[in-house]
Amino acid sequence: MTVALRAHGLELRSYSSDSEFELLVPDLTVHREEVLAILGPNGAGKSTLLRALAGLESPSVGHVQGKSDDRITMVFQRPIAFAGSVLHNVSVALRAQKLPRAIVERRSRDALDHFGIVDLAARSANRLSGGELRRLALARAFALEPAVLLLDEPFDDLDARAQENLSLDLREAVARTGTAVAVVTHDLQRAALVSDRIAVLLDGALRQVGPKSEVLNHPVDFETARLVGMTNLISAELDAQGAAWVLGERSIPTTCRDVPGPVWVGLRPEHLKLDVGRGEGESIGDGRVTAHSSDGVLTTLSLEWAGQKLRTHLVSGRGVAREVSVGNRLALSLRPEDVHVLRRDVDGGL
Amino acid sequence: MMELDAQTLLSISLRTLEVCLTSLCLALALGVPLGIWLGGRPFPGRRVLLGLVNSGMGAPPVVVGLLVAQLFYRSGPLGHLELWYSVQAMIVAQVLIALPLVVALVVAAVASLDPDWQLQVRTLGIPRIWRTWLLLREIRLGLLAAVIASLGGILSEVGAVMQTGGNLEGETRVLTTSILMYTQMGRFESAYALAAVLLGLMLVLAGLLTWVQYGERR
Repeated sequence: MTVALRAHGLELRSYSSDSEFELLVPDLTVHREEVLAILGPNGAGKSTLLRALAGLESPSVGHVQGKSDDRITMVFQRPIAFAGSVLHNVSVALRAQKLPRAIVERRSRDALDHFGIVDLAARSANRLSGGELRRLALARAFALEPAVLLLDEPFDDLDARAQENLSLDLREAVARTGTAVAVVTHDLQRAALVSDRIAVLLDGALRQVGPKSEVLNHPVDFETARLVGMTNLISAELDAQGAAWVLGERSIPTTCRDVPGPVWVGLRPEHLKLDVGRGEGESIGDGRVTAHSSDGVLTTLSLEWAGQKLRTHLVSGRGVAREVSVGNRLALSLRPEDVHVLRRDVDGGL
Repeated sequence: MMELDAQTLLSISLRTLEVCLTSLCLALALGVPLGIWLGGRPFPGRRVLLGLVNSGMGAPPVVVGLLVAQLFYRSGPLGHLELWYSVQAMIVAQVLIALPLVVALVVAAVASLDPDWQLQVRTLGIPRIWRTWLLLREIRLGLLAAVIASLGGILSEVGAVMQTGGNLEGETRVLTTSILMYTQMGRFESAYALAAVLLGLMLVLAGLLTWVQYGERR
């Protein structure tokens, strides 16, 4: 894939009266036609990294490299509208480039149409709702046909439906224009939905970058595992046969054949199955339901298993999910290849 | 000539407008860029400069008039320019009175923008001249407020223009100084006639600007 933007050996420090912050990014690339999600909790340095990529922050060491004639555009966390109509907002940067009027008009209308706000073209931008303003900021950025587009928390102040629509619109726009997009978000679901690759930022340090499935299923350390939704993290002892023993009583089968010792066993909730006798995965015994909740689509079960709290998801309204109640004992199973093993005394996966 | 005929009234009114509008244009030309600069990103010494601007807003016009008068007095530092008791000296004093108002209101307008506004414009690749135009559009209500406040201040100013212009008939006599003169002479009818013109001018100008401002808010 063609590299559109690369940050290399980036070190950026900022000081204030009561805090000191350091951003360390050894190597990060954004490719054409892909969406890179930069995922991290609040205060991890995501926005600072995005600003550095946009050239708005100067690193003390390292550099950000893109093609000299490539345009890098950024949409800020609080979308900013200029005084004037929606159409003025989208067209002003194109007019400033002295493009022919017909091209300005066509690109502006196309961008507004793509983000579903072409009907609002004549409306004053300061009368838009939060969601409409967000769409305007994205339409304005895409109308410029930038080589790289940097988006800071673009899903804020949108309801669930609008977030989903925006994710799809964004994917469609990227496929159509070939733009390289980096999206900063603290929302794992959004990151997973919109991205091709995920970069994990924790305490100002880039912990892991890779394809979405790689980061979600094989996080490099305990904190990253928690951040990417690997909620089942169990302290265990790995033996030479790849069985991870919990409290010396019950074991979890893994495909790991490394040196025996203390480990964290990680399992995504969607990979912990109810054993209903279909022979899917290997049985790990019973767990007791301690709580359950449903959002109408997915039912989340909390289970107590070998003194550990585990979590799994079921499709709401089907099978066990219809009749489950607290105190039920359910047979559990998993596939050894879904189990991720992390050394417990050192950061880093096996 | 102490008679207030229509010709004299027109001449005084036109001179008043000339002095005030010229002063206003100069104050805007100097104050708007200064306000934009001061209202932008922080830099060392910014607070000191803002403190000076705020102090300037509260400076008594008569003190400003005193300083300008001494500057242009025959034996003063700029006495060789022979501008004492001239329209130009009056304009200098008026500009110094209006400038802090313009700067302070532009600073407030720029500072009220989203902190990322300027960065957003930059990352859209908009050239500097367009950026300035966009910024002026963005702070237009603050600019209008600056114009209304400054105009009100300099149109009604009397002390400084008397000190620097001297109320010379046919040369530096303006509405406020004439009103003062006729009042001192006990010619209240003439003073009231001039006051009516001054109030009318202020009402027309302020009304016009308020109408523009209200139209922008709708």
